[in-house]
Amino acid sequence: MEITLDLVCMPSENIVARIIEEELIIVPLVSGIGDMDDELYTMNRTGRAIWSRLDGEKSLQEIADELAGEFGTSPGVIERDLLGLVTELVRRKMVVVR
Amino acid sequence: MTQLVESVAIQDFPLWTRMKATRGLISFDLEATARCNNNCRHCYINLSAGDRDARSRELTLQEIGCIADQAVELGALWVLISGGEPLLREDFPEIYMLLKRKGLLVSVFTNATLVHDEHIALFKRYPPRDIEVTVYGATEETYERVTGRLGSFDAFTAGLNRLLECGVKVRLKAMAIRSNLHELEAIADFCRARTNDYFRFDPQLHLRFDGNEERNRLIKSERLTPEEVVALEMKDTQRLASLRKNCDILIDGSSSHAACDHLFHCGLGNSSFNVGFDGTFRLCSSLWAPGTTFDLRRGTLREAWKSFVPKVRDMRSRKPEYLENCRACPIVNLCLWCPAHAHLESGELDRPIDYFCRMAHARAAAIRGECPE
Repeated sequence: MEITLDLVCMPSENIVARIIEEELIIVPLVSGIGDMDDELYTMNRTGRAIWSRLDGEKSLQEIADELAGEFGTSPGVIERDLLGLVTELVRRKMVVVR
Repeated sequence: MTQLVESVAIQDFPLWTRMKATRGLISFDLEATARCNNNCRHCYINLSAGDRDARSRELTLQEIGCIADQAVELGALWVLISGGEPLLREDFPEIYMLLKRKGLLVSVFTNATLVHDEHIALFKRYPPRDIEVTVYGATEETYERVTGRLGSFDAFTAGLNRLLECGVKVRLKAMAIRSNLHELEAIADFCRARTNDYFRFDPQLHLRFDGNEERNRLIKSERLTPEEVVALEMKDTQRLASLRKNCDILIDGSSSHAACDHLFHCGLGNSSFNVGFDGTFRLCSSLWAPGTTFDLRRGTLREAWKSFVPKVRDMRSRKPEYLENCRACPIVNLCLWCPAHAHLESGELDRPIDYFCRMAHARAAAIRGECPE
């Protein structure tokens, strides 16, 4: 599925997101999430900022606008990162499109 | 694109180093019950499956949830559900899912004899990190001599086969005891034929947590001699290499110095804890001594972790017999001795134990014999 800025996304019910010592860790509940059993998934600061806004309410465009303001980065860069991350998370079944 | 999400091998995760530095909680063991449908000769904990008193004292699902919430708040990422036999609990699926939904990576220790359709469906849909099963014998006769229960071998093989077929990660291991020593090789073959893991055996038999004298006599009768243990270790080159390489990491240098009279020099209470079937907090599974446990039905896990653990770790000995022997022993890193095991053996945390001493010397001699330098 192609991820576009008009979509609204949220974390899958099949994962639990944990914050431990300021590190965001995605713990899969079901099989088939991620690629390998012996790996944990984590995100950098930008990834965490995006993840915390995937609330099933805001569109990706709204999230991109918020982040551009917060990070002082050009909207084009933010939109590219946002779409890249969400595409990756949807592929890994960690995020679903509402 | 910048790497916003990345997968990292669990053992390489940088978080562990940071948590170690701050004594962060990483994992805990939950003994869901002390009851077991088997009655293994060497077992340090099992009570009978129908023990009503033990059952009445078991943590409820709600209490387990409360403890898990606190553990997660303190940072725990792993939990091991053990027992007794955890599948004896009718609410095992609820306990399992409760822990999974809190974002914990869940491992399970089971004898596999009670695995049924509901468990298989559960594990297939919501896989555990791993399931560990002990193989007591490779034949019905030996297996059931150890477990003391007719029909247990068939139930074990049926349950194990179902676990293996459903695709969850199963780890197999063995206890090396008097009753199965004659077929330890066959047990190793049994394990290797079913998993790709390195075959592990454990020759260390701990005495009972409840001090049951009759059972303790039975456990002692199942112990191998130090020479037998060393002979098994010498035959296993991988194990011997690991023992030689890693024996020093068993000793925590930060709590050890020349004039040190601290009792505990291992890593207990540094990153994990154990909660017993009745809510008793212990720093490790073997430490039951009075004054070293904390009742989680009366206090919080935070109190136990933040205030109680440091007090236990600061316990000291004034006994010359300990200070001049075990404390000063140059081969203590090859020894089974620790205060927890000393207490189980003698009722005292700081008493040298002859069996452990002989084991350490047998190991040291074997290692020296192989490395004459």
